[in-house]
Amino acid sequence: MDKQKARSTEMTRRGFLKMFGSLGLVGATATLAGCSKEPMGGKGWLPQQYQAASSYPSQVRGRVPIDPNNPSIMRDDEKCILCGQCLEVCEKVQTVFGHYELPVKDEVICVNCGQCTLWCPTAAITEKDDTARVLEAIEDPDTVVVVQTAPATRVGLGEEFGLPAGSWVEGKQVAALKKLGFDYVFDTNFSADLTIMEEGTELINRITKKSKAPLPQFTSCSPGWVKFCEYYYPDLLEHMSSAKSPQQMLGALIKTYFAKEKNIDPKKIFSVSIMPCTAKKFECSRPEMNDAGLHHGDETMRDVDAVLTVRELARMIKNKGIDLNKLPEEKYDQLMGTGSGAGLIFGATGGVMEAAVRTAYFVLTKQDVPEGLLNLKPVRGLEGVKEASLDIPGVGTLRIAVAHGLSNARKLMDEVRRGESPYHFIEIMCCPGGCISGGGQPRTALPPSNEVREKRIASLYAKDASYKLRLSHENPEILALYEKYLEHPISHLAHELLHTEYTSRGDKLTAKGSKLG
Amino acid sequence: MSKGVLVDLTKCIGCGSCTVACKLYNDNKFEKDSPAIGENPKLTDENWTIVTAKKTEKDGQPVWRYVKQQCLHCEHPACASACFAKAFQKTEEGPVIYYPHLCVGCRYCMLACPFDIPKYQWEKSFPLVTKCQMCSGKVAKGEAPACVSVCPTNVMTFGERDEILALAKKTIESDSKYVKHIYGEKEAGGTDWIYISDVPFEQLGFRTDVTTTPLPEYSHSFLKYTPYVIVGWGSLLTGMYLYTKRRNKIAQEEKKDVHL
Amino acid sequence: MAATNTQSWSFRLTPTRVLLFILAGMAAAIALWRLIVGLGPTTNLNDQWPWGLWIGFDVLTGVALAGGGYSTALIVHILHINKFNEIGRSAMLTSMLGYLLVMAGLFLDIGQWFNFWRPFVSWGYHSVLFEVFWCVSLYTTIQVIEFGEILTERVAKPWHKFFRKIMPFLLIVGVLLPTMHQSSLGGLYLIEVGKLHPLWWSPFIPLFFLMSSFFVGPAMVAVETSLAGRAYNHQVDLKVLRGLAKIGGTLMVIYLALKAIDFSNRDAWQYVFAGGLESNMFLLETIGGVIIPLIILISPWGKTRSGLVTYGALTALGVVVNRLNVVITGMVNYYGPGYIPAWTEIVVSAGLVAGGILAYCFIVENFNILGHHEEHEAA
Repeated sequence: MDKQKARSTEMTRRGFLKMFGSLGLVGATATLAGCSKEPMGGKGWLPQQYQAASSYPSQVRGRVPIDPNNPSIMRDDEKCILCGQCLEVCEKVQTVFGHYELPVKDEVICVNCGQCTLWCPTAAITEKDDTARVLEAIEDPDTVVVVQTAPATRVGLGEEFGLPAGSWVEGKQVAALKKLGFDYVFDTNFSADLTIMEEGTELINRITKKSKAPLPQFTSCSPGWVKFCEYYYPDLLEHMSSAKSPQQMLGALIKTYFAKEKNIDPKKIFSVSIMPCTAKKFECSRPEMNDAGLHHGDETMRDVDAVLTVRELARMIKNKGIDLNKLPEEKYDQLMGTGSGAGLIFGATGGVMEAAVRTAYFVLTKQDVPEGLLNLKPVRGLEGVKEASLDIPGVGTLRIAVAHGLSNARKLMDEVRRGESPYHFIEIMCCPGGCISGGGQPRTALPPSNEVREKRIASLYAKDASYKLRLSHENPEILALYEKYLEHPISHLAHELLHTEYTSRGDKLTAKGSKLG
Repeated sequence: MSKGVLVDLTKCIGCGSCTVACKLYNDNKFEKDSPAIGENPKLTDENWTIVTAKKTEKDGQPVWRYVKQQCLHCEHPACASACFAKAFQKTEEGPVIYYPHLCVGCRYCMLACPFDIPKYQWEKSFPLVTKCQMCSGKVAKGEAPACVSVCPTNVMTFGERDEILALAKKTIESDSKYVKHIYGEKEAGGTDWIYISDVPFEQLGFRTDVTTTPLPEYSHSFLKYTPYVIVGWGSLLTGMYLYTKRRNKIAQEEKKDVHL
Repeated sequence: MAATNTQSWSFRLTPTRVLLFILAGMAAAIALWRLIVGLGPTTNLNDQWPWGLWIGFDVLTGVALAGGGYSTALIVHILHINKFNEIGRSAMLTSMLGYLLVMAGLFLDIGQWFNFWRPFVSWGYHSVLFEVFWCVSLYTTIQVIEFGEILTERVAKPWHKFFRKIMPFLLIVGVLLPTMHQSSLGGLYLIEVGKLHPLWWSPFIPLFFLMSSFFVGPAMVAVETSLAGRAYNHQVDLKVLRGLAKIGGTLMVIYLALKAIDFSNRDAWQYVFAGGLESNMFLLETIGGVIIPLIILISPWGKTRSGLVTYGALTALGVVVNRLNVVITGMVNYYGPGYIPAWTEIVVSAGLVAGGILAYCFIVENFNILGHHEEHEAA
């Protein structure tokens, strides 16, 4: 009894103290929450550069505009800290933002390159996520899901799984795709070779005056660059090769050649591509990219149904609980799964040029390609603008130039516009370093470093050097394609499926300092 | 002197930096279902400034214009005149600011504002009225408001109101593309935030039928009679009371049975 | 009936009263919930419609209908028109209860309800609302003190003499204050220039509010005494009601005339027959709430009890519709549709009225209200 009594008093005392404690807490909360006599607002923070007198405005400020309907990139405002880095890359590296007069017209000017997704320190800007659509197609048993992988993906994907920059994961990537449930895995290197056949033939036609199209010819495989040219150099679009990009060539062939060969209803095919690129999402949505559909009389059918960046693929693999490192190496499916070293180096700046030169040399001279053209040093590396002059026996001197990063492209384009360009062929890659450092590749240093770019490039060239098949025109599947289906480069069918036209977007903006106004 | 901001709508590209800066500086939440930018953003208790994408026309051509909205910081603020507890006050530097501890929560300010700027924290137990404070803390230090300081295309110019008004006049006179109207010069008796545009303001969703009389004057035209009513009506009532009382008393004395 | 001299408190519990109790109880529960969770979850108010039923009905209409108190006080106690004495107390009681309910409604509507006292110390004297706030709170206080005179007839009797002494002062202030705040309630909407539909917005809206609050007094007295008369078997002399209605009717004619002049001045006649929500609601308020009651009044029917009750009911409804038109209908054109009162708002409004009726019944049954014929003694 006594004990009980003592305990109850103790409890009461404790309860009493507790009560006072909580009363104190309530008081403190009330003071903090509601009893301040400060005016409202200003309880947050701003990056340091904005904490300056109004007479000293910050040099790096704001961010790029992004249309909510942009097919390539999106932004989560909640993660944006207004660091200004997206503007830095867009304005200074890609010369898109700030290079048009205000007021704007009726479009948010964007070339969809996605470099801002690599520069954004908080990943507020990301690729637009299309994984759900792809997963839905995979889960549908009636749909044949075909996937292609771009050259640069196989030296990027590994980084998402802890491997050093530039690690070669081609076979593991194929294995991962199969494991994810893709029915056929093809290689964009194959259609890179095809691009060389078509684009190279086109170049030769221009040089030999078989075609009225002007020189220099521009490469057309980088959709960011293509859109940039449509915006800022619409007067030069005739120079653009009419050849589609490897992605779109393969897309058109999957729903025609592949469907025919495998006897699959093209309407049941869902065509996916894995790209190091966000602009490819835009490219596949261009209205004219439905040539397979037109071929079958269904204009709503897209040549490529969905584009996933390497980052999205990595996310899908991780979400499925697959460890890329533990996967065996697997091979691409036959028919369109073989690519040459020339097709592979499309992933690096200068690679398309080198691949084209190798084949052009052979086509023009009918001679074996010399060793120098298998290691075309002048167009390799990270220098912004590279150029070379090559003696082609019996033809003359071929002058070529390569630029990567759109600010570098401007230098060559202004020359062309002035009529002072000495070149026959110009390769432009939208992203600095080429596709290996495309807007859809794994995020690296901030801003992306040349060190990583160089490692990825070195990995591509090393593989090319190790290949036996290093020339596009020797690719057996390419030869079979022409023999069985297309007949010859720039044939009627090839023209229908593999070539395209460009739209001037000059009326969507008023370019700054443009001589054409 | 009152500070102000000139907003040149022709320069806005719709990046929304200003809306983010506002949220960062004022610690306001991002809400997925009420965005601060896009075609249908909404001023809310968390969105003190918004940028609306207006797909409109100019000279028969489709054009997109972006309209930043926030409190215009009237020279004679209706909200401050409507507040019966002085929760809204116009500072000397220009910002019309809000003291939460004075607010009773009657929301008369929301009705009074000719631009419908004040918003309410409807979901809170003890809600407050919210609106742009023009970063009064920054302005007091000589800094531009957060939204102004982050704008990548210099849409906004911060300065003395008379100076930015002169700038606005010079700009619209020297460039034929501008509409010859400075929104806020006279609206509601003049605002500290003023706008110029190359597309007519009504096309951009601005309220163009706002009176040019300062709104507090409407209340004043009524309230100024209060003292006279108190004295006059009060005396009259007292007089009548005493007079009729006495009259009845006399009447009562004359006819003792007059009472019901 | 009045139970002045019995010491036991009486309150009959009829089925109607049980229903009223349930309604008032529900309202109290919802009110408590609202005070805890805020306005968002418990009302349909939003940024577009910051004011709704509670302000429109509980406050604006409540104050207007309770205007019977001051108009009666003016007639009975200031002008000393003795034939109206018998309705003096009941009119003022209704008025006091009305104001207490208005205060309750306001308290529920303000977000920082614990801060309701702030304008007493932080003077926003530029605001019309400031005048409303001071007048309404002072007037309510005065009415409660005035009620003290009746209260002390039964409890705390030693104080009765004191209350009788201060009555004249209270009565004068008690007419002065409502004159001010009835008009300022209209004055609140002066700042809505360009927002409130021109059928209602006018530079004279304070005067219209004042006049309508005055003429609704006799109307309310007619309705209320007939209801109370039936319940308590105490019929007020028809002559008294008729006399009051005549005063109200005269004011209604002046009101109509002033409105007509105002419409001509502002070129607002075009909206009257324009069709659509605003014009229909305006016609309803004006024809149903002013013109028809006037016709009843001048017709032979107006000399009967039922005629006067109909006149009173229509006039009172007309004022209700007018106030709701100002708060809601007149704003639809500007804000767009987007507000329909939530059931909770409706229940609270109804519950407040129910509570008021119950309190009225209790007081009438326990204090000398209906049978009181005397004039106050002068101090």
